[in-house]
Amino acid sequence: MPALANAQSVALQLEKVRPKVPVLFERDDILLTLIQKRADAENVSARNMRVPLQIRPGGKASQHTMDGDDLGLGSGSVYDVATLSPVFETFGVQITKLVEYATTGNERAVENATKREVASGMKQFRMYLDALLQTNGNGVLGSIASFASTTWTLAQPQGAALFYYNQDVQVYDSTLTTNRGSATITSVDPLNKQITVNANPGGLANGDVIVPSGLSGAQPTSIFGVKYHHVDSTSGTWLGLSRATYPEALKTPHFAAGNAALVPANIRVAVNKLRKVLGTDVLSREKLIAYMAPEQEHAWEQLGVTISEIVRNQVPSEAPMPDLLFNQQAEKRMAGVPIKTSIHADTTRIDFIALKRWGRAIMKEIDYYEVGGQTVFPVYGASGGLASSYLFYFTTGLQIFMDGPRYGAFVDGLAVPQGY
Amino acid sequence: MIQVIREDKRTPAEIEHRLAQAGGVNRFGEPNFRAVWGWSRLGWIGGKWVDRDPATGGMIREVVEARWVPKYLPFDRWHLERWLPPEIYGSSENWNRITQETEGVQLVEALGPFPSRGEYEHCLTLEGPTGKFVQLDGSVCEWVVRAIEYSRGLPASAGLRALRDREEKKGTDYEKWAYDVLDDAMPALHGCPFVVVPRMSSADRRTADRGTRELA
Repeated sequence: MPALANAQSVALQLEKVRPKVPVLFERDDILLTLIQKRADAENVSARNMRVPLQIRPGGKASQHTMDGDDLGLGSGSVYDVATLSPVFETFGVQITKLVEYATTGNERAVENATKREVASGMKQFRMYLDALLQTNGNGVLGSIASFASTTWTLAQPQGAALFYYNQDVQVYDSTLTTNRGSATITSVDPLNKQITVNANPGGLANGDVIVPSGLSGAQPTSIFGVKYHHVDSTSGTWLGLSRATYPEALKTPHFAAGNAALVPANIRVAVNKLRKVLGTDVLSREKLIAYMAPEQEHAWEQLGVTISEIVRNQVPSEAPMPDLLFNQQAEKRMAGVPIKTSIHADTTRIDFIALKRWGRAIMKEIDYYEVGGQTVFPVYGASGGLASSYLFYFTTGLQIFMDGPRYGAFVDGLAVPQGY
Repeated sequence: MIQVIREDKRTPAEIEHRLAQAGGVNRFGEPNFRAVWGWSRLGWIGGKWVDRDPATGGMIREVVEARWVPKYLPFDRWHLERWLPPEIYGSSENWNRITQETEGVQLVEALGPFPSRGEYEHCLTLEGPTGKFVQLDGSVCEWVVRAIEYSRGLPASAGLRALRDREEKKGTDYEKWAYDVLDDAMPALHGCPFVVVPRMSSADRRTADRGTRELA
């Protein structure tokens, strides 16, 4: 009987952990997975999904004497259908032959190598999807403020926060019309808001925007992120509906800070806009979160109304003081709303997201890419011969929707505190 | 059936006293910190209100007015507040610019009048990690007040560093957790064959060792 080849061994190990792949993906520590899968998105074709929405309520109220007077007619609710096109996102993990040499004859070693690749691959894939969720649906992860050779300095607010090492990206002109070509990121420096790439695409110019690999054509579409749904405008479209048709229902209440520092009034104005629409108990009923970057959490700390992260970190469970923070499990709040911080969030915004109003339309659940039961694939070299590595892919098909942009609020144009 | 729609509570005098002692008093002689019950702490919210039918969620009416409603949620929890001076809110002109909203032809003050004597803002909700009720307790309040006061004295750069460290830790925490999850998918002892050996006393073990040596 021939010895078990490592490719088979890796495939075997991948199959062993396959039931855990959704578990790894669904951990609710990023915004993407805080948004629950919802069953009210219906597949109607290979390309579209429909979400029925009650845009305007129906019924006519009037007062009567009931002394033979006319009760009048009624009216019905206004329904419309939002349409979504799921996008398929894939993450390829490549294991080199070196792993085999390092692990031959030891199942546990192969298992560890596979585990490492699955865990780190999934971590990176989630980071990538979460980055897309910060965008306005066009996949723009950053824009180039300036460049020197192959080092690109990226514009605020996102800077380089949405990129990772070895990511393949494409560059478009600022109008998202001309695709200038591709590049691979060779280093990321989020603090200086810089990335370095292997080679500049031809015609690179300041103001160009960067999108992930795989998007194509003019005005590409990707995952509909926070900035797609939370828009305070009465023009344009939202999930196929014209905002001009339902101007009051398809815009998100917002407060423009005008590059001023965060103050409690900003937050209360924004939250109250939401409470006026959804009711005063919206904060708990709708699972509202204040979604922001660490920069704005820091600005909130600077107001001196919350316990600093330093103190929270200094309260171990064995501390001789009341563990009021329940070993750091107690939520930090902003004006009573639980704070959810993400390094991917826009540094100049705070979004109040009513999580119950958001949903994930899933066309393909997260899993390995599979062809005829095979999940590990050989890699071919430039000559056409085999390369000394093999591949597996995580893949999912999804889109993000919400019941209506009105069910949210945001503050934008906030100043970023010094030190960032 | 009697339905309680609002539960009003006042902070015990002893807690008020301890908070004032721990956090001091402001320029108006009022305590810097106070504990408030969610239902009892009201604030102005002005603008266009949408009233909905609680049963169906359907809209009943829209009305432009200022309402005096609970400021924080959850309503049935104790909240700790800290007094912020009026300077934090800028000038009254700036306050109007920020908070005045136009609804149709009406100008409404979304947050009420300018807080010329400062305002108490939310610091912490007393509840457990899963949102469980936590009773108001003097020692807990004192601890929170001291923690916030201590936080205020820390340099901004240290706070920034702590936030960055926490975010970096999230990545390593995920990897550790993912490894554990994947371990659960693996067979016991990573699939290596094993036999169960019953527990032996030291005398039995000596006998067994002697037997093994003799066999060898």
